[in-house]
Amino acid sequence: MIKSAPRTASEAVIALKKLSSEVPVAAVVLGSGVSVLDKLIDAAVLPYQDLFGMAPGVVGHSGTLTVGRIEVGGPLVAVLRGRFHLYEGYDWATVTLATRAIVEWGVPNLLLTNAAGGLNLDYSVGDLMVLTGYRDHLNPELKNTGLIPAIAKPTSDCRNRLTEKLITVGEKLAITAPQSESRPLRQGVYAGLLGPTYETMAEIEMLRKLKADAVGMSTVPEMLCCDGTSSLGTTTLGTTTTACAVSVITNVWRPDEAMGGHEEVLEASKNASKRLDRLFRAVLAELG
Amino acid sequence: MKLRNAKRIDFTGTCPEFDFFEKFSEATIDLIRNKEKAEVVIVIDRAYGFSPSHLKDNLAEPHLVSDHLNLTGDNPLVGPNDPIGERFPVVNSIYLSAADTIDQEETWTMGNPLSKLRSGIVAGIKPGLVPSQADLDLVYSMGAHFYNWNTVPTMIVAAHAGLKVLALAVPEGGVLPPQVLMAINR
Repeated sequence: MIKSAPRTASEAVIALKKLSSEVPVAAVVLGSGVSVLDKLIDAAVLPYQDLFGMAPGVVGHSGTLTVGRIEVGGPLVAVLRGRFHLYEGYDWATVTLATRAIVEWGVPNLLLTNAAGGLNLDYSVGDLMVLTGYRDHLNPELKNTGLIPAIAKPTSDCRNRLTEKLITVGEKLAITAPQSESRPLRQGVYAGLLGPTYETMAEIEMLRKLKADAVGMSTVPEMLCCDGTSSLGTTTLGTTTTACAVSVITNVWRPDEAMGGHEEVLEASKNASKRLDRLFRAVLAELG
Repeated sequence: MKLRNAKRIDFTGTCPEFDFFEKFSEATIDLIRNKEKAEVVIVIDRAYGFSPSHLKDNLAEPHLVSDHLNLTGDNPLVGPNDPIGERFPVVNSIYLSAADTIDQEETWTMGNPLSKLRSGIVAGIKPGLVPSQADLDLVYSMGAHFYNWNTVPTMIVAAHAGLKVLALAVPEGGVLPPQVLMAINR
């Protein structure tokens, strides 16, 4: 059964304006087990239950929105911990509700995160990958057509000023970080699949043929909300919100290695969160 | 892997010893999830659009399914998780090969008839959809050797319930060899 949120984006924005009269310079959405921007200054917290009328049901998502500053006098940011997924049975409007509220609130920058399986064999567990493109293999429209049209479609390019900033700042941090903590910031294509099953090896090979570097079950609906390219006909909001996304690589699919479960995903996300926190704080400081 | 208590599901209507379903449905899910002592689900399904690399003398033959591409655009596990399995099932290594059934050989006098079947990767297509030749060429280029409608969702539900799958793909108009039927029947 398809589930819908009881609130609209406009209703959520009313709650957001009560929480903060100032519009944040950026919103950050955290995926499974990703934990960054934990200690914000002058933080105000709103549970999703109060904001959207419902809470996320997946382990690793606390289901809160926090508004606060990354440092005294620094830029105001909104941090959303958790999201709603299509595989949980939510409809497209619910899955995109938080993003549409952020857009309607007038937040100019949206930084999305997700936990993703690595397809690129050069990647290692704990790597961060900035999305330069994405593949939409989860759109509900595909229930009517099957996935063949999605496979035939080229990858959507999502490079923009925010993506470029992430890459520039990330490369600088990689050079200046202590050697033990330094890792190259990856750039690649994210394939968004419906889930909730992980992929078969045949599907992994298919995604590699399609030049995808990582695979997950989220993020694409939110990206589509911001660039107005949704083939579902989701309202183009005439927004100036620019979205970028970073994947935390939680495993790398290799034929000779067994795949772990969701606990492995959460553990790998936790370990990479420190570097992601440093990256986001540096980028947000520049946006402010 | 013991086939003795396997759930036996037939989408072809040609295997009288099996539970017959016209298509994958809630009834199929119920049968799989009521697994009793079963460790394995045996699925027999029609398969279509065999790639030229998997034809013999230009004819399609029954195959064992070794893996799949879910191209249905859907997943039977979407929605609240049934507590019979994990929220995020790992579906690798679920399909049984002929070698995985080797412990059945004590009952076979002529060797393992399953080992005489060729293996291939099935593309699960949206039920009822008949792909064009261009679609099929794309599907082949993605690694599949034939397509069908019911095997993939059946496998996903079985994997979620902790069961392995022995999947047989039978071309339109064809039947399984009698030795194979004997091997997989009770």
